[in-house]
Amino acid sequence: MSDSAFDNIKEGDQFALEHNNFTRTDFVKYAGGGGDFNPIHHDESFAKMAGNESIFGMGMLTAGMLSSVPSKWFGATSVKKYGVKFKSRLWPGDNVVFKGTVTKVYTEDNIKHVDMDLFATNHKEEVLIQGYATCRPWSP
Amino acid sequence: MFGPPVASINPPGLPIERGKIHEFACSIFDDNVLYHDEVAAKEAGLPSVVAPPTYSAVQAHFASAEGMSGFGDLGMELDLRFVLHGGQEFEYIRPVFAGETLTSHQGEIKTYEKEGRRGGLMKFAEIESYYTDEKGEVVLKIKNILIQTAGVVKT
Repeated sequence: MSDSAFDNIKEGDQFALEHNNFTRTDFVKYAGGGGDFNPIHHDESFAKMAGNESIFGMGMLTAGMLSSVPSKWFGATSVKKYGVKFKSRLWPGDNVVFKGTVTKVYTEDNIKHVDMDLFATNHKEEVLIQGYATCRPWSP
Repeated sequence: MFGPPVASINPPGLPIERGKIHEFACSIFDDNVLYHDEVAAKEAGLPSVVAPPTYSAVQAHFASAEGMSGFGDLGMELDLRFVLHGGQEFEYIRPVFAGETLTSHQGEIKTYEKEGRRGGLMKFAEIESYYTDEKGEVVLKIKNILIQTAGVVKT
């Protein structure tokens, strides 16, 4: 658990993860893991027929990876809210940084809560996803 | 004869399984010990490994087998070549653990159209769903936003 991450947290604190050189295999692995078999994410000829340069990654792959920022930072059971807006697509070869910035620390129902902004940004400085999360300590 | 691509599961609902959580977490490159190690999870006082925040994607892709609307039942024709996932919001009443069975339910669906800046007329569908545990209590609420563009989006 990362309950201790809540102790000294303050507005402006940041946490980042990165993944470099996404491959087509990464997309296919997520197709199996997440169950998204839309051919636009694994079938090159289908993707090209629809006017794309190649297959591209599922939004939910990037969103799943972005959710690791709050869950690694504050703990696997800490995520209370998580939301994403998809801005640009993930292409094979992309390097992506996933970053969270604390925007608010407050107490609700006597429990400390942390709000954060989240961004997944590629090596061309394009935002792939803009998101947010709220974390709080949780125990059974 | 082979069956359809997605057969029905019985009893309804989707069991949250340790092996599937492990596979899902690997597919998002997350090595969080509480997604993979049942012993560590129990030592932390949890019933089993935790489902990652977006794990419900697994269940959503099984949803049509549970009787929820697929893309075809939105009251609008969607062309998969031009459908984009606009966004998604999750609200967790509590974490979800391996060993539970969750049932998905469809909430409200809103559809509307907007003139897009890059792709002509865009159709939007906002689809709400929620997941209940074996006690019938809601554990997770989701809002999903799908967008169909008039043609391929140039980025």
